[in-house]
Amino acid sequence: MTSISKASPLRWTYLIFVWAIILFVLVPLATTIWVAFFSNKILSFPPEGYTGTWFVQAWSLEAFRSGFFLSFQVAISASVLALCLGVPAALAIGRYKFRGREFINTVLMSPLMIPAIVAGSAIYLFYIELQIWSDVQFASTVYGLTLAHALIAIPWVLRLLVASLAGLDPAIEEASLSLGATRLTTFFRITLPLIRPGITAGVLFGFIASFGDLEKSLLLVGPGRITLPIAMLNYLEYRTDPTIMAVATIQVLIIAIALIISDRYVRLGRTF
Amino acid sequence: MPAVARRTRWAAPYALSGPAFVFVSLLLMLPLLMMLRLSFYQYDAAQMYIQAFTLDNYVRFFKDEFYRQVLWTTLWVSAVTTLLCLIGGLAVAYFMARTNSTILKRYLIIAIVLPLFMGNVARTAGWIIILDNKGLLNFLLQQLDPGGETLQLLYTSGAVITGLTSVLLPFMIVTLNSVMHNIDVSLEEASLNLGASALTTFRRIILPLLMPGIFAGCVLCFILSMNAYATPILIGGPKFYMMAPTIYKQISAAMNWPFASTLAFILISLTMVLTVVSAVMFNRTARVGALR
Repeated sequence: MTSISKASPLRWTYLIFVWAIILFVLVPLATTIWVAFFSNKILSFPPEGYTGTWFVQAWSLEAFRSGFFLSFQVAISASVLALCLGVPAALAIGRYKFRGREFINTVLMSPLMIPAIVAGSAIYLFYIELQIWSDVQFASTVYGLTLAHALIAIPWVLRLLVASLAGLDPAIEEASLSLGATRLTTFFRITLPLIRPGITAGVLFGFIASFGDLEKSLLLVGPGRITLPIAMLNYLEYRTDPTIMAVATIQVLIIAIALIISDRYVRLGRTF
Repeated sequence: MPAVARRTRWAAPYALSGPAFVFVSLLLMLPLLMMLRLSFYQYDAAQMYIQAFTLDNYVRFFKDEFYRQVLWTTLWVSAVTTLLCLIGGLAVAYFMARTNSTILKRYLIIAIVLPLFMGNVARTAGWIIILDNKGLLNFLLQQLDPGGETLQLLYTSGAVITGLTSVLLPFMIVTLNSVMHNIDVSLEEASLNLGASALTTFRRIILPLLMPGIFAGCVLCFILSMNAYATPILIGGPKFYMMAPTIYKQISAAMNWPFASTLAFILISLTMVLTVVSAVMFNRTARVGALR
């Protein structure tokens, strides 16, 4: 570093400000985890003692348990579906210049930009009309929900794969083609292995985005079959206690693990 | 053979992106169009809606003081949130790009991205226990000033802005961070060596180079806070109205689909218009800046 002296007051104010902001982002998370271990029955400070019973209590509540399994199941199938649709689309957008490329990209990224609550209602409306027309029920079914969640995952899969394709030298693929391999062989033997980190990260991010989704699912879940975030919202609207914080803590852990795994494959700092 | 190859090559990107494009169009674009059509229908308590072409729903929105107020609240809360995110995001992103410690760099980005993926509900739960009447902040205030009054922090607009800012700051930080990486450190060093102060260097060198990132980050934060649902519901409480919760209430409680659709399209079009207008203004100022 050059002329800024390490001890200048300006520098200190700046550093304090930076760490205050980082703290501001992390404090709610830390408080959630801390409170989950309080032995107080209702939310209050200071803690009377510490206990792990709220985790047992959270697991014993049917809504959370079945919500967890439903969210997990939907998030897995949705991210796999998003991957099947997203990999070819990412190839098209990352590797070709063609008329309408910007438009297709905008449409595929739009699930991030349209208000989720509006998208959820619109899909519900569509499902109802579809049911009137075809007699097949989509609303309040698991596959109807899964299709909507694939919509949540597609932009993430696309974004991570296009980024990972951009970091891949096209010359390698061209070499394979000029040596006589077909496009299909080139894809499976050259491109796919090279973008595998991007695929892993894309699936994980799609999974995380689907797992945490609240707004798109609100109207699409069926009676007695709700996802974990909806179960949490229903609970939080009536009471705030250590049990709900234990549920949130488990969610933080799952997502933190998923993120640390994806960081091994793609440096998170560069994917955004 | 070459002709066939040329033809398949021309069609390849469409064939590849086709399935995903059809999927999103069918499951999101078509439903949105259906909803747009619904916004011109007439509400009917018995049948939910009657097919018609009327502007009544839109007229109702602009005549009703309450809904205008909801839109206004949504707008100013989003504007303040975006500004706060920008100030905080600039400081943190600059710090992250210029720190020499790789470990700090790597784990800081995970720490920042983690809350991003927490899901709105779990993230907001943390703020509830901090801001509640019996929450952490009031407890700390009591320790400092025993016998002091309990502050009503939850269910205020300040609380909603606080919650939204902490939810959206990570988006701003990662957006700025990606642009910051491409700015050469030597530019800064040159400016400092030539005698400019750290603040001048930031204002005259870094800020202009960072403008595309600032713009992208602000648009993202603004759109996401215009669309926010969980935070205003949980932290704002039942008397704090923003657009997204109001739309859902029209559907779930009032069962008024036509009016809900109207609200939805006013929200989407206003957000879009503001985004486009700011993009045009941004391009103009960027060009003027380049000429100067």
